[in-house]
Amino acid sequence: MDDLLRTAEIACDRAVKAGAEFADVLVERGRDLSVSVEKNAVDSTEARSTASVSVRAFVSGGTGWWSVSATSEANAEEAGLKAAELAKGAEPDPDFVSLVGPASYPEVAGLYDEKVASLSAPEVASWITQNIDSALSFASDAIVSGWAESSWRQAALVNSLGVKATEQATHASVSVQVVIRRNGDVGSFYEWDAARRLKDLEPGELGARAAAEAARYLRSRPIRTATLPVIFGPLAGRGLILGLCGAASAEDVQRKRSFLVGRRGDRIASEHLTLVDDPLIPGGLSSSPFDGDGFPHKQVTLVDGGILKTYLHSHYTANKSGEHNTGHATRVGIAPTNIRPKLGGRAAAELIGEVEEGIYVVLGNPSPDTASGQISALVDAGFKIEKGELTYPLQNTMVAGHALEMLARIDAISSDYRKEPGMVLPTIRVASARVASGEA
Amino acid sequence: MNTDLAKKQLERVRDEALRREVEFAEVRYAAANHSGLMLQDGRADRVGAGRRAGMGVRVLSAGAWGFGSTESLSESDWLSSLGDALDMARVTASRLEEPVVLPEAEAVTDDTTTSFDIDPTGVSLDRKLAAVRGYEEASAKRAGDSVANLMTGYNDARQVEIVCNTRGTLVSSETVRTLVWHAITAQDGDLRQRSRETRAGQAGFEIVERTPAQELSVKAADRAVSLLSAPPAPAGNFPAVFHPSIAGLLVHEALGHNIEADHVLAGQSILEGKLGSQVAADCITVVDDSDVPGSWGSYHYDSEGTPGRRRVLVEKGVLKGFLHSLETAGKMGVEPTGSARADGFSHRPIVRMSNTMILPGESSLGELIRDIDLGVLLQAGQWGYVWCEKGQYTCHAGEGIMVRNGQLAEQVRDVSVSGLVLATLANALAVSRDFELDMPGNCGKNGQGMPVNGGGPYIKVREIVVGGQA
Repeated sequence: MDDLLRTAEIACDRAVKAGAEFADVLVERGRDLSVSVEKNAVDSTEARSTASVSVRAFVSGGTGWWSVSATSEANAEEAGLKAAELAKGAEPDPDFVSLVGPASYPEVAGLYDEKVASLSAPEVASWITQNIDSALSFASDAIVSGWAESSWRQAALVNSLGVKATEQATHASVSVQVVIRRNGDVGSFYEWDAARRLKDLEPGELGARAAAEAARYLRSRPIRTATLPVIFGPLAGRGLILGLCGAASAEDVQRKRSFLVGRRGDRIASEHLTLVDDPLIPGGLSSSPFDGDGFPHKQVTLVDGGILKTYLHSHYTANKSGEHNTGHATRVGIAPTNIRPKLGGRAAAELIGEVEEGIYVVLGNPSPDTASGQISALVDAGFKIEKGELTYPLQNTMVAGHALEMLARIDAISSDYRKEPGMVLPTIRVASARVASGEA
Repeated sequence: MNTDLAKKQLERVRDEALRREVEFAEVRYAAANHSGLMLQDGRADRVGAGRRAGMGVRVLSAGAWGFGSTESLSESDWLSSLGDALDMARVTASRLEEPVVLPEAEAVTDDTTTSFDIDPTGVSLDRKLAAVRGYEEASAKRAGDSVANLMTGYNDARQVEIVCNTRGTLVSSETVRTLVWHAITAQDGDLRQRSRETRAGQAGFEIVERTPAQELSVKAADRAVSLLSAPPAPAGNFPAVFHPSIAGLLVHEALGHNIEADHVLAGQSILEGKLGSQVAADCITVVDDSDVPGSWGSYHYDSEGTPGRRRVLVEKGVLKGFLHSLETAGKMGVEPTGSARADGFSHRPIVRMSNTMILPGESSLGELIRDIDLGVLLQAGQWGYVWCEKGQYTCHAGEGIMVRNGQLAEQVRDVSVSGLVLATLANALAVSRDFELDMPGNCGKNGQGMPVNGGGPYIKVREIVVGGQA
């Protein structure tokens, strides 16, 4: 890592010497292995090495960017110089105050696992090939595709105010899609698992689970267009939550292109919704000690009992509005980390059991348009609920409404949830939403 | 790294692959120099540029593929990546259903460049800024007090790809692409509506100079402002007419991905086994053409060194063929179509579309709508996606116009639609003589982004599900 820090310092120094008033530099390198599967056989196995230097230079608040896919000292010098030259050409931004100053960073355990970094390609391949077998053991006519990958990454972040931060991370994931064709009908589903540490990865039965789910989606059909209760399962509910977090970006709010403009401190959802963003969870998929500006990460309550407590800030947006920096900068914008909804008191099965007629969305992305707040999302996979039971799978069905109305109509969040490293994915019930479908 | 040096180094890596007795190897160098700027709320305070270059090598050994890539430009690192690729091929071979056998193909040696009038790398930042500012000012003036936010972006990229393979092919392609876009968020009280327009092409800075604000930012401003007084779209099943931009989305998302032969061979396409069958109404003819001058999705050679060309995929509703790489063509016993494209050096070539379009017919727009009692005209295509294996897709339109008693009526906002590909295409009733190929975008597949374009005529369909609120 010392060599990455040295490279970052060279680029940063060069930018300042070339006239930048402030500069920060991210230097990264990494390697990944991936194995792809098509139609129950390995299709390709790949190994990649990556490296890059990216420099942000600031002159009167105007930003110049330069990135290059190499990390030699000559590349670093060039990157610093070019970024500074570009910053001089950018127009001044009086809202820019300063970069992040030096700080101590929290310890976040479990972001790097040597066992993942040292995996061989055959070991990575075994995660996906065992799932071909697992799917076929459930359904001999299963058509399996997907991939497995492992990667490691090292990064050094340096700025002209003295920030020097390094990070090592590993990542492993498996994704399996199963298609089942019977009598001219098609059912399909995908499952996945991801982790930073090998001990958190459980690739074992993804294939069988995906095959079992795929078989449930045979004989799908449309329903009548109506206003109905909509229950978002763990994966679909995540789209709704992440969409809300995206609209809470202070950059979008300050630029007046978010439906959450002027809503801080207001009720934006029912009292059932509390969202905590926690980047410090050991082994969390979106955990890290610092954000893209080099600001120390910390736990932030975004929504408390339906009240929007804060926007998500970078150092720039926090300075611009005189608010506290929440540490949500990426190198290109603002993003949440590990969003954890507060759990309710009853299991998902109970929430479904109380619905006389409605739909259950398993896969789909009900993420609102950031500006308008409108949601109009296809149900990629889901079921009709009748008399408290999941009945038949849905076809060609959409859910629509305004995000604030849909959030206000959340009448329950489940006590049980899908758990992935750093993630809590409960079931979310919306009392009513417009459901359009193709039944005449 | 200059082209001659890169070619020599590629040839030495290829020769080493031959020495290691692979059945096939393809060594690719790819480099991109890019620049961009963004004007927001009156200030161009973010200006960027950069360079990305490296090498990717793919080998076929014992009928199995392996791939390695590096951002390094050193020959020793390239040879190391070749070693990676050979190791990876052994892993692929451990669970191989059927060894890959590539079809015979002639060696091609060529150097190509796209033509442009104004080299964007020679255009000063001030000139670029002035052009972009002109778009913003025109939009601000047009939208007046309704403006909540304005964003205008400009990007250009000069890309070089050199393909060198063990069959003797050595092709270099230099491509220049330029893009300008404007997005406006208009506001009336708590109601916000966003609209975006893009002009993009395989062209130089002339694409900016030849695009008046009226066709870009003013168009976006007019739409965003008028949507503020439009009611939400209805929910339910409606007769519909697709604007050419929606036709472009439909043909790309709904049909195009199903026509990619790798999806077909993977058992993930609804078109598997339907070659020669009627898959759409007879007013539907679909073409993928990588040879449209200046179009965003065009190219001379694909990333396997096969020449791109015009391919008729559906003719009068009958499925005539798929899009192919060398591998898929070999498996299906047909000619490669030059459709294998790779996103830079760090990905292997996979089957991709180029400029995909439904061909025009004879009707006017008025003729398409005149017998619709209650329906919707969908305009300003934004985005979409498809689940290929089920043929279920969704498309989002920037606006809709209700059709009542055969006449265009009120505008509606927040319009997404969904459908089943084969049902939608079978329900196509007529297509217009008006035609546009103007839906440039960056298509994502298997983690790779790729410039593509789409278009078509106005298309009338019997019914489609509109995911509205009313």
